[in-house]
Amino acid sequence: MPVTVEAVLSDGRKLPYVIQDNPPRGGMKYTYFAPDKSYVVQFFNNPMIAADPDTHKRLEAIIGKYNPTRPESEGGAPGNSPAMAAYFADRFCWPVATVQSPEFGIVCPAYPENFFFTEEASVVLPLKGRDKRSKWFTSMRNRQYLEPDEVGDFRAMLELSMSLARSVRRMHQAGLAHSDLSCNNVLIDPRSGRCVVIDIDSLVVPGLFPPEVVGTHGYIAPEVLETLDLPADSPDRKSPCAYTDLHALAVLLYEYLLMRHPLEGPKIYSANSPEEDDYLAFGPRATFIEDPRDTSNRPPDLPLTIHDMGPYLEDLFLRAFVDGLHCPERRPAAMEWEKGLIKTWDLLHPCENPDCAAKWFVLHDVKHPVCPFCGTPVKRENIVRLHLKSPVRGRRGQWVPAGEVDVFHKMPLFRWHIQANTFPDEKTDASMQAYIYRQGGQWLLVNQRIHGMTTPGGAVVPAGKAVWLQDGTLFRVSGGEGGYLVKVSCGR
Amino acid sequence: MADYTRRLPVYLLLDCSGSMMGEPIEAVRQGVKALLSELKGDPQALETAYLSVITFDSSARQVMPLTELMQFQEPQVNAGGATALGGALNVLMECVEREVRQCTETQKGDWRPLVFLLTDGSPTDVETFGKASRAIREMKAANIVACAAGAKADTACLKQITDNVLMMNTLSAGDLARFFAWVSGSIRMSSKGMDAKPGGPVQLPPPPDGFVVVP
Repeated sequence: MPVTVEAVLSDGRKLPYVIQDNPPRGGMKYTYFAPDKSYVVQFFNNPMIAADPDTHKRLEAIIGKYNPTRPESEGGAPGNSPAMAAYFADRFCWPVATVQSPEFGIVCPAYPENFFFTEEASVVLPLKGRDKRSKWFTSMRNRQYLEPDEVGDFRAMLELSMSLARSVRRMHQAGLAHSDLSCNNVLIDPRSGRCVVIDIDSLVVPGLFPPEVVGTHGYIAPEVLETLDLPADSPDRKSPCAYTDLHALAVLLYEYLLMRHPLEGPKIYSANSPEEDDYLAFGPRATFIEDPRDTSNRPPDLPLTIHDMGPYLEDLFLRAFVDGLHCPERRPAAMEWEKGLIKTWDLLHPCENPDCAAKWFVLHDVKHPVCPFCGTPVKRENIVRLHLKSPVRGRRGQWVPAGEVDVFHKMPLFRWHIQANTFPDEKTDASMQAYIYRQGGQWLLVNQRIHGMTTPGGAVVPAGKAVWLQDGTLFRVSGGEGGYLVKVSCGR
Repeated sequence: MADYTRRLPVYLLLDCSGSMMGEPIEAVRQGVKALLSELKGDPQALETAYLSVITFDSSARQVMPLTELMQFQEPQVNAGGATALGGALNVLMECVEREVRQCTETQKGDWRPLVFLLTDGSPTDVETFGKASRAIREMKAANIVACAAGAKADTACLKQITDNVLMMNTLSAGDLARFFAWVSGSIRMSSKGMDAKPGGPVQLPPPPDGFVVVP
């Protein structure tokens, strides 16, 4: 029989929770739910860890001054505004308090509803109420059992990839490392394009004793696996840190976008035992399946490659899994992933095949504009591209390239499409500034709320009016200091 | 593209002797059903685990070959007869030999199989058991967990097969359900975090309340 008891928090508040048989148990903790399921109370499997003063100090820091989900004014991270705190509160399941009695533990918010499967998610599997771990979506074998609505499309996977890169960037910016990023600690919802990072309690906090975590199979950085057998105090032993997070982040992003693991290929590393083969494959001899020079682990029939992800992501994946696989310092930072994913987002193009499951793809090669998922070519008249040019400070009339945007019918444009030095992050105004409209074979950029937009001839374009986009059109999309100049190319 | 995920073979060896008749055998049926449902709800188990059932009474047979979870059909299990545990071990060795992919220069091998053995008595095929238990020890081909169910189960015999022996005090439906819940927890844990280091002992969750690990 479930019994409701009370947890006493470190600030003296009391919270009820329900004791049940066989509580859900992870590697570190087990979980009880609030009577209304709005929060969870978690206790440690290992009483030594629960009793350790270092664990308490770490968790207090995580909940307090390192907390990006709480405004600075309420004891959260320095510089964190209420809006930024709200932004990250949706993206992290961050602990909110420590429990002192009946024993040391933590309180976390429940995951938002959309990260649990509903009855409709699958007709063949009992998934109702289970959390949306990413292996449901990134394993080709598992995906087939989910309803088509549930698995989302390529754009949704790119969107949640951006969200994850941003969340990891925010942690690293504060000096924190997650230390156990994995398919089990990031829940994804391809229906909405959202993700949430969970199990925040094993973070590495600057200046405090790190937790005893190694990571999860498949996401552990090669150098950590390789030095696992060394004594805990050996200087050569590599522990989880921001660099190892960057390996796990790259693995997750590769899985989200390409639906396979970057190191799982046909190569046999050892004929002695599966354990040895596995250790070498993920540790000292790990080889990227798409390594351009060492093709020993390359599957013979790769349907989709990093090249199809466009130039920014191709470069980042090569840096993560070729240059940086065994050289942690060379792995791309979370901020670089965030920027590369945003630039890639601007190259998204809707597939013209109504039956294409991916629905969207990265239109990186306008000379061969073909959807890599279904092979459908794009009609020339549907290729319109904005080449953004940024003014050079102090040099009137000089412009430098600032990015490219592939446009499609009803596409919204935001501040970062019209203004230099704006970056779509937790601080930026994300209201629509303008949009693209296709009318009878003609493409228009319609002003919503931009000041200083002008026609190629220099006439002001007020809100509600549009600029006609033709091949070679050159116009100021925004006035003011950093307003971009836009050059249009069509069909090429 | 081919699937390069390593398989985790799991064998259930279930005692269906006469003493299991009635509530216990029904609890075993329900346990297998619950186990399957639990594993199907875990994406990593669904991706990696393959399940087989071997039953034994006066003789032993594989009632369900090693099968991926989505194709797995719950086998018919009925109680009656003696306890051919030795025969069951021979069937297990033969199945592992035939079904589990070995590591070679050209083939990615499966994980070392996980075997869960449940018995409420002691082997009646003593001679066969003696040979088979020695052979299985020497093979080291699988991680075997044996569970002695109820007061009449012979833990000393089980210790000849494996070091991992659990004991549950009763043969009640509740204890059997807890056993199968623990088995599914063990499979889920193994399908996620196979010990990355070669040769390490198998990591399993703590046994359920009321179960003791036989030293």
